[in-house]
Amino acid sequence: MIELVNVSKSYAGGVDVLVNITLNIGKEEFVFIVGPSGAGKTTLMRLLYREELPTSGKVVVDRVNVVELDSNQVPYLRRNIGVVFQDYKLLPKRTIFENVAFALRVTGAPRSAIRRKVMQALELVGMLRKANSFPDELSGGEKQRACIARAIVNNPPILLADEPTGNLDPATSWDIIQLLEKINKRNTTVVVATHNKEIVDALKKRVVVLENGRMVRDQQLGTYGV
Amino acid sequence: MLGNLEFFMVEAFRSFRRSALLTTVAVGTITVTLVVFGMFLLIILNLGNIVGTVSSMMDISVYVEKDLSLEEAGALQVELTKIPGVEKVEFVSRTEAWKKFKEDYGTQLDLDALINENPLPHTFAVKVHSPELLPEVAKRISQIQTIAEVRYSGTLVNQIKTLMDAVRIGGASLVVLIALATLFIVVNTIRLTVLARETDIYIMKLVGATNTFVKWPFIIEGIMIGVLGGVFSFLVLKFSYDAVISRVSTAMPFLPVVTDVRLLSVIYSATLLGGTALGMLGAYISVSKVLKAEI
Repeated sequence: MIELVNVSKSYAGGVDVLVNITLNIGKEEFVFIVGPSGAGKTTLMRLLYREELPTSGKVVVDRVNVVELDSNQVPYLRRNIGVVFQDYKLLPKRTIFENVAFALRVTGAPRSAIRRKVMQALELVGMLRKANSFPDELSGGEKQRACIARAIVNNPPILLADEPTGNLDPATSWDIIQLLEKINKRNTTVVVATHNKEIVDALKKRVVVLENGRMVRDQQLGTYGV
Repeated sequence: MLGNLEFFMVEAFRSFRRSALLTTVAVGTITVTLVVFGMFLLIILNLGNIVGTVSSMMDISVYVEKDLSLEEAGALQVELTKIPGVEKVEFVSRTEAWKKFKEDYGTQLDLDALINENPLPHTFAVKVHSPELLPEVAKRISQIQTIAEVRYSGTLVNQIKTLMDAVRIGGASLVVLIALATLFIVVNTIRLTVLARETDIYIMKLVGATNTFVKWPFIIEGIMIGVLGGVFSFLVLKFSYDAVISRVSTAMPFLPVVTDVRLLSVIYSATLLGGTALGMLGAYISVSKVLKAEI
């Protein structure tokens, strides 16, 4: 589903963010990308939905060569990838329903289908009764649920979550991770970048460890530390 | 596509209402620049009109030999009319001219006591189609045998010609400059409304909106801002011009001001259309810039 071959990314001034990463993530896998802040987790995620391009190497997502993708095809790539952020990135002046519907509206989906799909997504994340609330009226955990609903409303085969629990307390973090696991079981490939040791250790999923832009470990049923 | 259009309209109206302050600033800016632009056009138009009227009043005075009979003068009039560039030839008989002269100056002098015979020749007032033709036509007339003297105001003709050229060339380049300045201001004002929604654009692009899809609501918003600016500037221009014209024509009735409704409506519709086009173009340019900088 996701394939990185010898991917490196460096910025002007010679900062190497990612060095020679080769990584294969299969269909319907659940993978943690772990490592300290600045290890390159976020950059790795951004390469997948082409917010950034690698300096060298090959990135293939859902059989699409992302690096060589024509820029007017990028929107169609992104419709197959749901993205969840640490800071939620909800639009403050819209209700939760509108925020989630926004992701379908921009694809030109018909109105009736939008309503049905948004309701389904909100139900899945347990936010149906908050549909008409504004983001400011919600707790951190609820905002993250709304953000996840927006990411999956289009039924993308891939869900990327960049520090989804970064702003949440342990109990809420646990809820969110369980929600991501639930989505994974509905045939979605899930990649979670995190430095939350407790969660990684408890879930026993595949763990990819980054340090200073280098991949130092790739372990099935892994833990955060060695 | 109809569903999309509805989405674009709803989004445009939503942004229009929610960023009320920026919208007001943008509409105000467009109004002010279009009013300046329109006033400038009206000034140019009136200046051209004045110059045109003054030059159309200019004619060539043609004095014939004193012993020319009325019949001969009549034949001469026909001949003058045939000269290319001549618009109209008016005949003033020597009797009429003398009578007029005495009326004008007779109160100061007892002319009949000084001169016992009419000293004036028959004259023609020759009007030409445009002031540039004056020297050429005057030259042709002076070549006719029975003509004693030809007079026209050469320096004034040249001055008017220079003035008209200056109005034309200077006016055209100023119109272009002001139009560019207006576009620049509008683009930057609308850019503020676009920048205020950068997060929206980021999210739209992230969830897979195409660039065209992102652009449309902004372009519609730009058109709405432009139309409003156009309507306001039209109202300001129309009422202030009407007020100025009614005062000018009372105070200086001799001044030829432009009151032709058709001509004025061309200028007014230019500000309306100009506002719309500016709003649209401004939104297009600014949203394209933001999109290029985005992911």
